[in-house]
Amino acid sequence: MTEATVKTPIIRDCGPEGCEVDWLTSRPIETEVDDVLDFTRFAMEQDWGDGLPLIPPTVERVREFLAVGGRYPDELIGVIPPMNTECTVEKIVINAVMAGAPAESLPLICAAVEAICDPRFDIGGLNATTGSVVPLVVVNGPIRDQLGIPYQHGCFGGAPSMATAIGRTLRLLMRNVGGQKLGVSCESVFGNPGRIAGIVLGEWEERSPWAPLAQRRGVPGNAVTVYGAMGTMNILDIDSHSGPEFLESIGRSLAYPGANNFCPSVAFGESMVAINPVWAAIIGRDVPDIMDVQELIWRHSSLPIDAFQKRLADRIVETGRVQADGRVYLTPTPMDVLVFVAGGTGSLHAHGIHSWGTCLSATKGVQ
Amino acid sequence: MALGTILDPTAVRADDITHPGPDLGDLRGKTIGFRVDIMWRSWDWISALWAKELEAAGAKVVFWRAGGRTGDEGARMAEGLKDFVGQIDAAIVGLGNCGSCTGWTIHDALAAAARGVPTIAICTQNFEELGHTLARRGGRSGLRLHILPHPLNEREQADVEGVGREHYLPMMAAFGAHHTAAQEAAE
Repeated sequence: MTEATVKTPIIRDCGPEGCEVDWLTSRPIETEVDDVLDFTRFAMEQDWGDGLPLIPPTVERVREFLAVGGRYPDELIGVIPPMNTECTVEKIVINAVMAGAPAESLPLICAAVEAICDPRFDIGGLNATTGSVVPLVVVNGPIRDQLGIPYQHGCFGGAPSMATAIGRTLRLLMRNVGGQKLGVSCESVFGNPGRIAGIVLGEWEERSPWAPLAQRRGVPGNAVTVYGAMGTMNILDIDSHSGPEFLESIGRSLAYPGANNFCPSVAFGESMVAINPVWAAIIGRDVPDIMDVQELIWRHSSLPIDAFQKRLADRIVETGRVQADGRVYLTPTPMDVLVFVAGGTGSLHAHGIHSWGTCLSATKGVQ
Repeated sequence: MALGTILDPTAVRADDITHPGPDLGDLRGKTIGFRVDIMWRSWDWISALWAKELEAAGAKVVFWRAGGRTGDEGARMAEGLKDFVGQIDAAIVGLGNCGSCTGWTIHDALAAAARGVPTIAICTQNFEELGHTLARRGGRSGLRLHILPHPLNEREQADVEGVGREHYLPMMAAFGAHHTAAQEAAE
């Protein structure tokens, strides 16, 4: 293994528009760069890696990425806890190069970083928690197709696309800039597969009866919505025929006593549902207003108080969350149920995504 | 094999305060603030027990309960924290008994310490390293931590209160307290 040595950078022209000052400030390290496996081994020793092969972030690759990406490296995108360090475009690019992300994805990655650094998302809590939560990114707008972000078959995982490298970039940034280290600054008991390369998918807007998710949240066009996902759950329904039936099926499936949102210590939370395009057409026909869709899912994603074990039920009662109908609702209001259309045309399944708790979703435009 | 120059993908916070901050000192006439939460009944039991000891030693005790930290409630909590640390002479902040709640425990302890008041954060053993790591990454590695056993919240109330009694004096010693009534009685 090559021993790392610090040296002074020698390339002096840089920046997306060409400049005479070296904008790059990261510590230069001399090491093996022409063998991915050797570099990956070195990077793992430095605690930079995730176990998958890493591309060496050479000065040349970083400058080339910046030139295509069209951003200046010293631009501050956000501060990521628990390290509370500044996440600049330069750090994003270095990690994106390592992850194998395309330079054209830089604006999307920057928007996603901006979203996870939004205080409402509580990335600090998310980074440290015993839970298995990971930022899930839903992409809206033409950029979906420009970057090949999947929104049809296998969009939550398994579809071959650059979404994997984009999501992996976010995860590397959480490790290398945010300082998320398992057993040190992160107490996740189990983790989840999305913690390897993130979860990045698009909305199948063209098959949705409703306005795109980001547009409904006030950001039309190219945008990302990040959501704290505890994992994904399958919702199978081979019996329903109408919109209200499908929505009842989805809502009932989401409600189970161990969901984080039912914890008395979780003051509020959201839930998310991906509806396949076949069901979306039926639901849109019968329930054309998205707010009514949210209302129906919300109404059914609730449990009677006696569905909880006594100790838990007692604490829920203390919090005042039992409604007049004797039920406890997964989210405070129907507006807290995020719905979008995605998935293959084989129908049969919806995807439920429970949230970790009080990390609230954030939507940002892609600049 | 070819050598080349790569760029460090990490970012490191350089500033750090290694000093633990002022000692608690004499308790008499001081307002001691307990930061509690909406998660840990065990911390409610222990902080209530410790509050009685502090009052017996001549201190005034106030409580502030942290809730949701995002959205509108988060904004209210930020204001509440500001008010809380503004009215106390010392802070006992807990409970770090999970990942995110250790994060917010340390966050709130750092807010009190930044104001210059004697501060101690309370974590359970499993989250001790996380507490120190987050304090360091928050720029104050010297932050005082007192460690309670783990698991704690899974125990019955009488058992937890026993832990609280056992840990009161060690916690006060770590906090730099002088002449508590309990100490005098023990002496």
